[in-house]
Amino acid sequence: MGLLDQRFENGNVFITSLDGLLNWARLSSLWQMQFGLACCAIEMMAASASNFDIMRFGVIPRATPRQVDVMFVAGTVTIKMASRIKRLYDQMSEPRYVISVGSCATCGGPYWEHGYHVLKGVDRVIPVDVYIPGCPPRPEALLEGIMKLQEKVRKESMVKKRA
Amino acid sequence: MLTEFGKAFIFFLLGVIFVILGLFGAWIFRPRRPYPEKNATYECGEEPVGSAWIRLNVRFYVIALVFLIFDVEVAVLFPWALVYRQFGLFGFLEMAVFLVILFVGYAYVWLKGDLDWDKPKPEIPIMKRTLVAETEIESKHVLVDDDGIVE
Amino acid sequence: MTAQEIFDILKTQFGDAIIETKFDTMQPWVRIAPNKTKEICFFLRDDSAMQFDYLSCLSGMDYNTGTFGVVYHLASIVHKHKIVLKAFCTKDNPHIQSVSAVWGTANWHEREVFDLYGIIFDEHPDLRRLLMPDDWEGHPLRKDYKVQEFYHGMKVPY
Repeated sequence: MGLLDQRFENGNVFITSLDGLLNWARLSSLWQMQFGLACCAIEMMAASASNFDIMRFGVIPRATPRQVDVMFVAGTVTIKMASRIKRLYDQMSEPRYVISVGSCATCGGPYWEHGYHVLKGVDRVIPVDVYIPGCPPRPEALLEGIMKLQEKVRKESMVKKRA
Repeated sequence: MLTEFGKAFIFFLLGVIFVILGLFGAWIFRPRRPYPEKNATYECGEEPVGSAWIRLNVRFYVIALVFLIFDVEVAVLFPWALVYRQFGLFGFLEMAVFLVILFVGYAYVWLKGDLDWDKPKPEIPIMKRTLVAETEIESKHVLVDDDGIVE
Repeated sequence: MTAQEIFDILKTQFGDAIIETKFDTMQPWVRIAPNKTKEICFFLRDDSAMQFDYLSCLSGMDYNTGTFGVVYHLASIVHKHKIVLKAFCTKDNPHIQSVSAVWGTANWHEREVFDLYGIIFDEHPDLRRLLMPDDWEGHPLRKDYKVQEFYHGMKVPY
């Protein structure tokens, strides 16, 4: 192909695969369903505010599960709340991801030993993609969690079988 | 070759095609895996109870109707405003008659109370029995009526 | 009014329903019979010398000897004095008369005590679980409580 050989090396053309394009589109606009339950919700609010600003990553808060891609489970998940979380996760549309923020949502947190009312980790009811440890995690940790999820989305493919 | 309307039509057509392409592209690429729990009605995580249809107050319909009428009036005013000078006094009086007719209707709607956004009056709870503490240690029970204190 | 005076007035009024008092602690308390709490509390609220019109707190207690108790913290906004009432019952017969007719706030406080200790409040208008889910087994704050293994398919312990 002598016509196209070494013509576009100055960086003025951008090629991609369909997978790459779709994945880029999805990871740049991960709309979130804010599910702030307890103290980690304050850190999520701090991350959404101007100092750390998750909106510049494309993460817009929506109130309904139908229009979101990712659910931030931020806070202690009680057993009473767990059935509602399951129902809301069911009502999200694919492709859907879950980020568990803080140690209560990851493993029960400080309530792991004596908390009869706490679900020890939200992954007992819904599948989680990214775990963010911390009690509560700093907003920078939340941003790192979002970026990890973006990396995960970048590697997805339409033809590969997903877990 | 193409009239001004034709150019506006092309513009409109391109807009429609853009929207259709976007929706069609999304339809091709998005996953579609419905199951009963996903299709359930959203009720903030609870089991849906009752009907999803709610009865709205009729005042919304009334305000919307009144707005529509006067919006059309304004829409008619715009082209008249552009050309009324070349029609002189006759054009002015014609529109004045039109406006007066609509103004009579507006006054009727206003005075009839159709534009009031009624709020329900808050009910102040009437205390039938209250304690009044005086500066001395002794306190006494008083009965409070609608008019004042009755001992 | 000191706790001793309140105890004396209550003793003359109710006799056997007032069992004992302890007034050399930080919060002097008066022990009352569990089946007469409503009468006593109505008197405490309405009497002009006492006027305990504010129920600060109603809590349950498990004394680990087979005795349960309910502790009432009363305060008077008018006279600015406070008193603590205690009513005991056994684990086999956990019945205490409800005071939700006296102070409206006692309604949910007693529901919480029922939920977490299993103390049944007689004449309560709406006694059901408040904090735990409705089909939870057991009363969590009892000393001999063992958490259940599974609830609706979710594993409860760590």
